[in-house]
Amino acid sequence: MFASVVDGACEGSGVSGPILIPRRFVWPYGGTTVFLTGSFTRWSNHIAMSPMEGCPAVFQVVCNLMPGFHQYKFNVDGEWRHDDQQPFVNGSCGVVNTIYIVREPDILPSILNTETPGRSHMEVDNMEANPRMPVSDLEVSRHRISVFLSTHTAYNLLPESGKVIALDINLPVKQAFHVLYEQGVSMAPLWDFFKSQFVGVLSAMDFILILKELGNHGSNLTQEQLETHTIAAWKEGKFQQFRTLDSNGGSYPWRFVHAGPHECLKDVALKVLQNKVSTVPIIHSSSEDGSYPQLLHLASLSGILKGICRHFKHSLSSLPILQLPVASIPLGTWMPRVGEPNGRPLAMLMPSASLGAALSMFVQAKVSSIPIVDANDSLLDIYSRSDITALAKDKAYARISLDEISIHQALLLGQDATSPSGIYNGQRCHMCLRSESLYKVMERLANPGVRRLVVVEAGSKRVEGIISLSDVFRFLLG
Amino acid sequence: MSNSHSENHDEVTVAGFEVPKSPDSSYNNVYPGNEDEARDPPMVPSHLQHTLLNYPANRDTAGTVPLPQNVILNHLYIENRESPRSVVALGFTHRFHSKYVTVVLYKPVQRRGNTSI
Repeated sequence: MFASVVDGACEGSGVSGPILIPRRFVWPYGGTTVFLTGSFTRWSNHIAMSPMEGCPAVFQVVCNLMPGFHQYKFNVDGEWRHDDQQPFVNGSCGVVNTIYIVREPDILPSILNTETPGRSHMEVDNMEANPRMPVSDLEVSRHRISVFLSTHTAYNLLPESGKVIALDINLPVKQAFHVLYEQGVSMAPLWDFFKSQFVGVLSAMDFILILKELGNHGSNLTQEQLETHTIAAWKEGKFQQFRTLDSNGGSYPWRFVHAGPHECLKDVALKVLQNKVSTVPIIHSSSEDGSYPQLLHLASLSGILKGICRHFKHSLSSLPILQLPVASIPLGTWMPRVGEPNGRPLAMLMPSASLGAALSMFVQAKVSSIPIVDANDSLLDIYSRSDITALAKDKAYARISLDEISIHQALLLGQDATSPSGIYNGQRCHMCLRSESLYKVMERLANPGVRRLVVVEAGSKRVEGIISLSDVFRFLLG
Repeated sequence: MSNSHSENHDEVTVAGFEVPKSPDSSYNNVYPGNEDEARDPPMVPSHLQHTLLNYPANRDTAGTVPLPQNVILNHLYIENRESPRSVVALGFTHRFHSKYVTVVLYKPVQRRGNTSI
């Protein structure tokens, strides 16, 4: 009744056209005569499916498809049917199966063993279906998030009424950290009065490097000089040091990363990730030469993530990748399993370790926080780079030696220093389970001050991994 | 008949529409004394006290402060501290499109000793 198309003709159409991806279609529910039709045949051509050798109930055919979305249906002995074990939708053409072809060609499975055809066939189908779903879901989710980030600007990150702290570059470094501590912030843009420009950012990492410099016996910097050593002098010395490191390919040169209020959020997020900074000052200049700059905001990944969560809160079904548990996604830093190679081990410390060891780990391992665990690797607390500003309380940094104070003592000092107006005052460790969905993790990371979640085992709180804001964005932006 | 007409004219004045007498107190107010004129006006309007500079800008609140009153916009504030410090804070609140931004810049105080030397 139906005009059948030879498989060779379908194969031949891929010779001169764009790159096509071979795809095998299977009808495992029996029949006498089975045809395949779909959007890739304009729903008019019907491709005859051949029964598998030794398995008369299973029909199959291989077609070359363009990358993208496709719909298809089966005609079994004159009756239209769909495979309800595969993805399907109820559309204008009735119930049809759907498939999303990615650019990479699929590896065709080998011919099934004829000894146990039914069982092997089902296993192959399951293996095919499961890995494919995350790939297509990931592409859909990334595309939608990319569209959202490209159509919203940094201006959307500004609160209705915001406040931002800036420091003059001629301010002594010591006074600068007192200001950061008093204001409860961990970084501030730097203003050059003579250039009338913002020229950089002072952050907790600078304070860590200064303390390590003071700790070196051969250091040129003394306690007395700390009183008068300006931010400009410190930054210049750091720049020289990084220039030396950069020739060795070890580090990034110091330069000012900023964005304008009309730049899209995707560009702001990429600036954060590519330059390995935690905030990007939003600076606006009404003139074209960039003079008379206005500081508007300090943009961070948590602000952008809050916008994403708010936007997709009521349409989570359009982002299928967000429903998956975080353990099934290549995201974050995890404890290495037995026999599994891990390129980047998870850095942890005991509470009795010295503060100097933590600061060295911040600098060398290039991490921003360290889980503090007990002998069983159970999570007790977390020490972050921004916690270093607590040493400004009562000038603690002048009275202690980095190798003589323990992390436990430093954390006690930090608890007293917590801002009383902080919303998350009572909770310093932010944890999650490996079975929690990516969206739940994103919602919690969107809270200001929460930069990372430690993945722990339920009950024992044994550390299994850590997921940071930059991990999530690197995963979503692809 | 003429008497009747005169009587009708008198009756037209309804009780509720009589013109009231002026109160005596209207004409007995005393002139203001010289005390008010001797007092100096305030240095600045009192509503400029409602600044946003005292609100914390820490990361827990994501740098959010209450909406400012219009009168404090585009004014430069200098921190007033009892004890002398080597750092001074300059505050400025302005409007950017439909949002408000408060910037606080910390600058070193020029030492007079250095100047005299």
